[in-house]
Amino acid sequence: MIIPVRCFTCGKVVADKYEQFKREVRQGEDPAVVLDRLGLHRYCCRRMLLSHVDVIDSFMAFATSESPGAKQS
Amino acid sequence: MEITIIHKQSDAIHFLVEGVDVAFANALRRTMLTRLPAMAIDEVIVIENTSVMYDEMLAHRLGLIPLITKLDDYNLPQECDCEGKGCSLCQCTLTLEKEAGDQETVVYSRDLSSQDPKVVPASGEIPIVKLAPHQRLIVEAYARLGTGAENAKFQPVATVAYKYVPVVSVDKTKCDRCGACVEACPKKILKLDGDKVSTQNTLDCSMCEACVQECESGAITIDSKKDSFLFKVESSGALPPDEIVERAADILKERVREALEFAGSL
Repeated sequence: MIIPVRCFTCGKVVADKYEQFKREVRQGEDPAVVLDRLGLHRYCCRRMLLSHVDVIDSFMAFATSESPGAKQS
Repeated sequence: MEITIIHKQSDAIHFLVEGVDVAFANALRRTMLTRLPAMAIDEVIVIENTSVMYDEMLAHRLGLIPLITKLDDYNLPQECDCEGKGCSLCQCTLTLEKEAGDQETVVYSRDLSSQDPKVVPASGEIPIVKLAPHQRLIVEAYARLGTGAENAKFQPVATVAYKYVPVVSVDKTKCDRCGACVEACPKKILKLDGDKVSTQNTLDCSMCEACVQECESGAITIDSKKDSFLFKVESSGALPPDEIVERAADILKERVREALEFAGSL
């Protein structure tokens, strides 16, 4: 759904590195270099970022939040 | 027993322990993993959650956030005077309130406001949930001390690993300087130095023995010292890595003392 807080295997916190990873890879950098720079050296942590798909963005298209106008009535 | 610190960063420590056996090294490792307490959110009251994420999932994510722990300021609930009911000596309240305006908003761990200014998320950049326009999140969370034996979220370490100290030796009389071992080594430990093969950074050796397989003349032998261990301790951010090792050693000492006392009373 959203990037997991920790690596499933070793428990290292990976969530705080995801946004930087995504931004730099989108700018055309090599994912391997970015992961090394972020300090994710083990392959268990690397796959957490590499294989992640942010499905929450698709879910939010169906969000059922009340609009400010509807709340007042 | 002798300890040499090889490398120290803010979130990890690398050190060499000499003159101990495997049983001790493993006891220390397991103490750091399962016996050393750390703070984590354990109970969450969801007052309002209109986000697309289920309350349970939200609570789970909050629980996994490492909180900076001051071990002297808090008691383990089972050892506290309140008998585990939860008081200010064994519990810390954190609240989170966020509403998205007309734009999508990401709720980060830094949005958690703590009752105790010392107990805060170790990293403020952890995304907890994304809110669509006008969605709201009001949460009250209770953090407490716990140990890794109870739940992995209480572990103050991500990884603790040790390995034997590798000993790489090249027999000069057998070596024909073909350089095959230099090519084969994934850690770049062997190096062709003029007319002989020399070693560098041998502590990095993973003892894969790729060089031994490549060496046709059988000049290379990989061995390990049986009484020395290379430790790598990686903190989750809850405690500084050197404090983790120190506290774990204290806990281990106390547990050994208790065991001896019990054995003596038999």
